[in-house]
Amino acid sequence: MNTDKTLKTTPAATLDVQAVRAQFPILSETVHGRPFVFLDSGASAQKPAVVIDSMADAMRHQYANIHRGLYWMSERTSDAYEAVRGQVAAFLNAPSHEEIIFTRNSTEAINLVAHSLGSLMKPGQAVLISEMEHHANLIPWQMLRDRSGVELRVAPITDAGDLDMEAYGRQLEDGKVALVAMTHMSNVLGTITPARQIADMAHAAGALVLFDGSQAAVHHRTDVQVLGADFYTFTGHKLYGPTGIGVLWGRRALLEEMPPFLGGGDMISSVTFEKSTWANVPHKFEAGTPAIVETLGLGAAIRWVEVIGFDAIEAHEQALTAYALEKLADVPGLQVVGAPKQRGGVISFTMADVHPHDIATLLDRNGIAVRAGQHCAEPLMRRLGLHATTRASFGVYTSTQDIDALAETLVRIRDFFV
Amino acid sequence: MSDAAQDLYDLQIVERARNPRYAGDLPEANLSGEGRNPLCGDRTRLDIALQGYHISQIRHRTRGCALCTAAADMLAERLSGCSVEEAQAVGVRFSAALVTQDAIEQVESPPEGTPSLGVMQPLTAVRFHKARIRCVELPWVALKEALTHVRV
Ligand SMILES: Cc1ncc(COP(=O)(O)O)c(C=O)c1O
Repeated sequence: MNTDKTLKTTPAATLDVQAVRAQFPILSETVHGRPFVFLDSGASAQKPAVVIDSMADAMRHQYANIHRGLYWMSERTSDAYEAVRGQVAAFLNAPSHEEIIFTRNSTEAINLVAHSLGSLMKPGQAVLISEMEHHANLIPWQMLRDRSGVELRVAPITDAGDLDMEAYGRQLEDGKVALVAMTHMSNVLGTITPARQIADMAHAAGALVLFDGSQAAVHHRTDVQVLGADFYTFTGHKLYGPTGIGVLWGRRALLEEMPPFLGGGDMISSVTFEKSTWANVPHKFEAGTPAIVETLGLGAAIRWVEVIGFDAIEAHEQALTAYALEKLADVPGLQVVGAPKQRGGVISFTMADVHPHDIATLLDRNGIAVRAGQHCAEPLMRRLGLHATTRASFGVYTSTQDIDALAETLVRIRDFFV
Repeated sequence: MSDAAQDLYDLQIVERARNPRYAGDLPEANLSGEGRNPLCGDRTRLDIALQGYHISQIRHRTRGCALCTAAADMLAERLSGCSVEEAQAVGVRFSAALVTQDAIEQVESPPEGTPSLGVMQPLTAVRFHKARIRCVELPWVALKEALTHVRV
């Protein structure tokens, strides 16, 4: 696409939002007769044409099942699929592409670790999460606790919405924690957690660390080695890629030690009715025909993101978030939830006595899409003393006009109710 | 606000949510039920004073959106003084009105022998806003729970 060229010549750390928007077909749709203002990228991002096209092209020109056929088309598709593994490894700066496991989404990646690593844990050991986890990084550990007797600990957050590092340290003191599983960025508060410090403290206490990067991987460059992570997960659909494809990265030694998650085709090396042996990593963890087309779509999405570059993406989103915080501060009765030290492009808020559902419906009637509710983080809501919030979340295509439309409409909604 | 939103956020609904008439506790209640929506954390609790098979009074405590609050309050008004059987018939009619795509006239003039929606009428606009139907149904979930053990 020649639009890629335009983007390449844009100086680093600035972004031509209009040129970016032009690459997202859906952004020229109208909703209820108004321009579509999409402020729900945190739930799932929209897709650039290159991602859409890459998937259609694959099905048109280059598709067959992988790792099975001895014919040209299958081999080519296998190569393309495996090439994405290499791309993802580079994207995360993982030491090896063999440490990249494709899953259905972040949820499945976390479940994989809870199941496989979890089966090596013993009663008396503990898993430590935080108060601001998405249900995806809570329920799998509760299930592990209930089936294996492993303890589940929860590290508190401060009222500002940061991880309480002192309390976190205390939770590690007795040396029972085998795994710290924490979000790298909260989907409700926008908090970017101090991953390196979390990892260092975990390691010093003899624990492994998993980061849920579902939100974080979208907003800034991720280097799993700099972060000191043992496991890292993200989900394709929030990264401008398709649904149905997620990633687990894990250190090879750990992956080799862990038993498989699902059983079936592709994950074995030899099979008899009496006994089977497992394929090497990562294939040991990829049972059955994977999401081939979606994986290729993810490859296109990563390529696209890398052409724009995280310097530009991060600068754009930081500027936009600061702008939005300023604009929202002018809406009477509006209260932003949390004030974390470092915030990605996610802002949750409440507004006087207007319920988030009413806000979301009325915004929608004006073409503006936001999320309202508990955001799959019910315990966090309880901790914050809220039962629901409205959340605006930003992506690479979000413009200041989008924010202006949000702020202006919120003022009108408030006038309507109060 | 745009037209369709105005339709849903009819002044009667907004006004009702702002100043509910049947909110509060009912010390003489002998039945109660609760509805919860796990997606948004909304909750409504109904207290009912039942005399024989007659609902003499209803009060609700609702923590919810404007639609949910108005729906609870309108339910309380509409069903006060009804028999359990009538209350259930109103519920059936309300549910039907929430799924029909029929014009509003048909919703307003029910077939003979079925109870009218009365004060609850404006809530039927929610049928064009699928995502919000659960909001107005929540008080009915609470009612159902309250009446579980009442045999008619
Ligand atoms: C922080 C966080 N973790 C996990 C998830 C789960 O992602 P998925 O539903 O793609 O598995 C999400 C997305 O909703 C999220 O925001």
